[in-house]
Amino acid sequence: MVSMITQQAVTDFLKAGGYIADDAIATAVFLAIRMEKPILIEGPPGVGKTGLAKALSSALDFPLERLQCYEGIDEGKALYDWEYGKQLLYTQLLRTQLDNYLSVSADLREAVERLSAEESLFFSENFLVQRPVLRSFMSQKRSLLLIDEIDRSDDEFEALLLECLSDFQVSIPELGVIEAKRKPLVILTSNGTRMISDALRRRCLYLYIGYPELDREVAIVRSKFPDICENLAQQMVEFLNKVRELNLRKPPSVSEALDWAQVLSIMKVNSLTAEVVAGTVGVIAKHQSDLQKVTELASQELG
Amino acid sequence: MEQIITRFVAALRESGIRVSPGESLDAVQALGLCGIKERRASRELLRLTLVKNVNDIPTFNEVFNRYFNRFQFVDPQEDLPALMDAVINEMEGEFTYLNELKDDHDDEPGPLIKIDSEINPEDLAELKSLTEIDPDDNDGTELMVQMKGYREKAKKPPRPTRRYTQNPLTIELNKGNSYGSRITFTVEEQAAMQDVVSKMMLRLRKDMRRMKNNQNRGKLHVKRTIQKNYRHDMVPFHVVMRRKRREKPRLVVLCDVSFSVSHASRFMLLLLHTLHNQLLDVRSFIYNRDLAEITELLANMPVNDLMEAIDTGDIVDLDENSSFGEVFLKFKTKHLENLRGRPAFIILGDGRNNYGEANDWVLDEIREKSRYMLWLTPEERETWSRGDCLMDIYGSYCDKVEVVKTVDDLSLVVEDLLRDIYADQAHPIDRKLLREAKAAETYSSEDYYRRGTNADTKPTFDPDGRSHW
Repeated sequence: MVSMITQQAVTDFLKAGGYIADDAIATAVFLAIRMEKPILIEGPPGVGKTGLAKALSSALDFPLERLQCYEGIDEGKALYDWEYGKQLLYTQLLRTQLDNYLSVSADLREAVERLSAEESLFFSENFLVQRPVLRSFMSQKRSLLLIDEIDRSDDEFEALLLECLSDFQVSIPELGVIEAKRKPLVILTSNGTRMISDALRRRCLYLYIGYPELDREVAIVRSKFPDICENLAQQMVEFLNKVRELNLRKPPSVSEALDWAQVLSIMKVNSLTAEVVAGTVGVIAKHQSDLQKVTELASQELG
Repeated sequence: MEQIITRFVAALRESGIRVSPGESLDAVQALGLCGIKERRASRELLRLTLVKNVNDIPTFNEVFNRYFNRFQFVDPQEDLPALMDAVINEMEGEFTYLNELKDDHDDEPGPLIKIDSEINPEDLAELKSLTEIDPDDNDGTELMVQMKGYREKAKKPPRPTRRYTQNPLTIELNKGNSYGSRITFTVEEQAAMQDVVSKMMLRLRKDMRRMKNNQNRGKLHVKRTIQKNYRHDMVPFHVVMRRKRREKPRLVVLCDVSFSVSHASRFMLLLLHTLHNQLLDVRSFIYNRDLAEITELLANMPVNDLMEAIDTGDIVDLDENSSFGEVFLKFKTKHLENLRGRPAFIILGDGRNNYGEANDWVLDEIREKSRYMLWLTPEERETWSRGDCLMDIYGSYCDKVEVVKTVDDLSLVVEDLLRDIYADQAHPIDRKLLREAKAAETYSSEDYYRRGTNADTKPTFDPDGRSHW
């Protein structure tokens, strides 16, 4: 099914999954699926970077493997780990068998040799804990690997990902190279708090998602909250666009727009007035200094 | 199609965007997968594959428009990139169109190709020698000349260092004092600063990592060790040590923004805030006669807007003469109380007080509150005691006075400072190692002239035995 996909189909199935994509997003997704390359998505917080991955996963029916990055994340948390506890437990339980097995040997040297011949037993996939990256590589079905907020991780971790992302393989010293059974669709997101290295950028398609155009944002609001009438949605989005130009500490983004739409639909508001904005300003402005600016704008714009 | 992409990539490189061969291959592959439909879609496709940085997107758009706009007099219904391809192929006497394009453009190649097919390759060879292109000349031949130009360029390997060869501050300072000119940073300058900082980070990282590793030195954290090794049957495979909490070093910067030192101070601000959050906690102030804190502004406002706000005097009045004495007094009354955690203190200014009150006793109080005091001046030592310059008096309160003239100087000074701050907090053993390493470093005479100061110089004026410049 995936190989037959076209660009238009991408837009359509994303729309069916509740995600309104523009041309750039649809093209990026289409290319990522066809070229089997990761997408690096940058943009301000709350414009739907993670949302895109979730929508894709449900629309394409790819199981989602999510890796949330944080400072100090390492391969033990991202790729794989050995399950020491299980290994110890097994050696404990198998003690009698081991005793029997080793008792045949004449001296210590031979015993060690016999034991080391069976070493691969203890470093097998049985004792391997799969972390998100490896799990998505080992998945029988093509999966979607979301590496969220890569800018929070360290440079070392970025370097670690290079092999995984370009060749879709993980090198485990004890087992050798494990290649992906089905190459997952990889999505990396970044809020741009730190510059991502060029090496990583080069391996990805680069998609910048900014604040959506007016029409698309209205469509997004309407698709999530159909009971908001066209008029109100239009009014809301126009107001939010003006708010974004105010130079706030935290400009409201799409997720704020959706929250606001939800609030307004609960309050059964039909049209936007200065009082309504003043009452719900906490939904769109998240800093004390911003609250005042937004209320002022509302009284100017909406009377 | 490959040729178009290659030339387009060359044009991008000309404009300073770094595009690797792998990325241009991606672009070709992507075009093959999607097919060429319309201008907008193709642009998006190329942008997805070739541009990997938000800041490069406007440049890309500009280059794209410049590169593909020559076809705008062709019927807009036509398939523009395909036409382009066809033209180029024709120009070189190659009539091998790509198969997918052939379907659409077999019989009617479009008006432009008709014009071009009247010109034979020999003519083109002569055209190649043309270097001057009349911008108003809008016919097909000009296009070819332009194309030739790109082709020549495409043969050259990309030179990623090209953007950084000239140091922005050096240029600015060498220009002489161009008073009153607005300073904003171009993307290249900001990238160059990013470059300087990342190099600095690389150098510092080695030391930092060693110190970080040694953070673990200390007493055994019994509880956490037991917790951690529970699954190993309490056999302590992993040992957890108690560690000291270490805060980010704090830094307070006072930058003179009056015209005499404006360039240096702007770059100082930019440098420190590129560093901010990576290693340091910076509070910045700017002053002329007035004093204002701009930490928040720098963190939230685009750098260029802020610089313009400073230049227009919105933040501190620039029309008055700078007065260090007054600024120090204001700093004492407003901010000295809430300096926390013994910050390192950097003052950037020329020390020219315009014959006002010196108020140097404030520096003494600041010094008590700070871990380290550094004065950066763009003036050479010889002029420190001439005219209204109080550098000698102010300098005596500082741990160090450095002459900085270029971004490189600045980054070296700040790097040393960071190293000192970290060393200050380091484990005693590390401190000893660092001290030994520093002692082993020999200062060459070239360093002396380049840096303006020398650590071995014996102090000439030194009331407390603290200064060593």
